[in-house]
Amino acid sequence: MKMANSLRGEVLNLYKNLLYLGREYPKGADYFKRRLRNVFLKNKDVKDPEKIKELIRRGEFVMKELEALYFLRKYRAMKQRYYSDINKTN
Amino acid sequence: MAACVLSFCVHHLPAAFASLPWVPMLATAWPLSTALCPAGTRTGPGASQPASVLVQVPSQVTQLCQQYSDVPPLTLEGLKDCVLYVLKLYDRIDLEKITGVNSHFMKDLGLDSLDQVEIIMAMEDEFGFEIPYVDAEKLMCPQEIVDYIADKKDVYK
Repeated sequence: MKMANSLRGEVLNLYKNLLYLGREYPKGADYFKRRLRNVFLKNKDVKDPEKIKELIRRGEFVMKELEALYFLRKYRAMKQRYYSDINKTN
Repeated sequence: MAACVLSFCVHHLPAAFASLPWVPMLATAWPLSTALCPAGTRTGPGASQPASVLVQVPSQVTQLCQQYSDVPPLTLEGLKDCVLYVLKLYDRIDLEKITGVNSHFMKDLGLDSLDQVEIIMAMEDEFGFEIPYVDAEKLMCPQEIVDYIADKKDVYK
């Protein structure tokens, strides 16, 4: 029971963190929120702790991917701002 | 919101300084200083009047600053309205279902744990501090949220 509770907390924390990250999502926060909720609801009946852990790891992977996406977006915007003339000549 | 108040304050400060009644204040400073200083410490009018002016000006200015930058203090009543307002803005709640501050999120309003996390996030945004998970999982009705925030923000009346 205690195990399940700690996993429950982890899942809800993951949901919260993903929601925070999703606010900057290119397609809009609402789109991201809808998709995120659907994905979480799809797996709501999973009971096996090992399977839940695996899904949490997948969620954390998605978080890393999102961070990478934002980093790349920022990098591209910076590059465009500071090196636009170079890009034109090349 | 804060930035709005700040810019308002900054824009109005010069005007406030300009409209400070310098001359009447010099005139009124004397009677006020007699009230502030004990009679024994006063040696003569020449000694105490400049000091009283120095005391007067900063207090006027700080009063003006406080007027513009201070938010009205939180009350339990205001907090309750705030929490209910945030709940009404949340699109997955039926407006008619919120009957009072004691409606349970899951039993009465038909929400799930993911909704509850989103509500807690909305409260965090509204009140500007983070609610850790161990506390958040116990907050299951508007009244509990009001109590929790009042506890954290030191609101007692």
